[in-house]
Amino acid sequence: MRTMVGVLVTGLGLLVAALPALAHHSFAAEYDAKRPVTLHGVVTKVEWFNPHARFIIDVKDETGKVTTWNLELASPNALRRLGWTRDFLQVGGEVTVVGVLAKDGSKLATARSVTLADGRKMVAGSSASE
Amino acid sequence: MKKDLARSIVTTLFVAAVLILFSTPAPGQVQATGGGVAMTSLEHLKSKSSGPAPRTADGKPDLSGLWGPDPHFMGDFSAALKPGDVLPLQPWALKLTKERLPKDDPNANCLPAGVPRMAPYPWKVIQTPKLIVFLMEGNMHTYRQIFMDGRGHPKDMDPTWYGDSTGKWEGNTLVVDTVGFNDKFWFDSSGHPHTEKLHVIERYRRPDSGHLEFEVTIDDPGAYTKPFTLFGHSPLMVNTEIMEYFCVENNQDISHIVGTEKAGRAE
Repeated sequence: MRTMVGVLVTGLGLLVAALPALAHHSFAAEYDAKRPVTLHGVVTKVEWFNPHARFIIDVKDETGKVTTWNLELASPNALRRLGWTRDFLQVGGEVTVVGVLAKDGSKLATARSVTLADGRKMVAGSSASE
Repeated sequence: MKKDLARSIVTTLFVAAVLILFSTPAPGQVQATGGGVAMTSLEHLKSKSSGPAPRTADGKPDLSGLWGPDPHFMGDFSAALKPGDVLPLQPWALKLTKERLPKDDPNANCLPAGVPRMAPYPWKVIQTPKLIVFLMEGNMHTYRQIFMDGRGHPKDMDPTWYGDSTGKWEGNTLVVDTVGFNDKFWFDSSGHPHTEKLHVIERYRRPDSGHLEFEVTIDDPGAYTKPFTLFGHSPLMVNTEIMEYFCVENNQDISHIVGTEKAGRAE
């Protein structure tokens, strides 16, 4: 019995591992799914271009120091098909972004969801959940 | 009795797990499948139609339409083999597959996918009696021409990303024969290679109005020990259109692709 459950769990693990997740590049080679991040900041720029829409935010810490982050979304085409519109992100607007950090240590993350100050939230990732 | 109960619990767990793994996500829900969010964005746009496939005025099956990609033709195309089959890679080709780095993937660099690789975007079939055109949204915004007028392949061809394609009908199946490929594209993001000896035969069928089925036979004596066949499915896409996609417009990824992990299955 225990063996059967073990085989089942191992089998499912392999299945999940076998499901690839990528856009036009390998997700896992650019982002570290084990390093999630939540950022709260103000949008300073929106780039609604392929292959990935992006937006830049300024994040202020407790000491007042500002850090600029580059946040990757899916392509505008995929975002449109998910119900996004180009004006969802507004320069000057406050956002909370849940995402995953880049592997190279730069101030870059891929966003999984974006929540606006008024509570509106969109699933946003350029990556699949892993 | 105890054993029966245990067995039924395992069965229930397994069914639940399978349902979770293969259930159709709601729009906006992220799921780990090939193509990531771009594939998820297409889920709710798949046609539910299962009526008879339409026919053209000359009585041929009409394959026209906007078709969704098959994720098996993205991360590791061996996923599209018949269960139990393995890729008959020659040793050098297996070695090269392992050595290739994600940053060098032509797709990541906004270069064409080649055949039969797919991107997580729809493609459109435009069918006329003498010419069939495939329009690809991504990974390159590009096209394939399939000549149906009985011509053969040119004798002197410069190798290209999509080669030279001629087509003919065998009953209800469109058979596309392509040669003249370059060796630059990768078959998938796992990096499976090929040579300029590549010869691809695709067989497309529309079993009902909402689905396209295809078989792709890869014959490349330069990189594989024998020909092999891949099996794919494309759903008809509704309430959407091909959208402009110029990957080079803002591709900032390459300098950040520092890892060696590939999207596909382990070798």
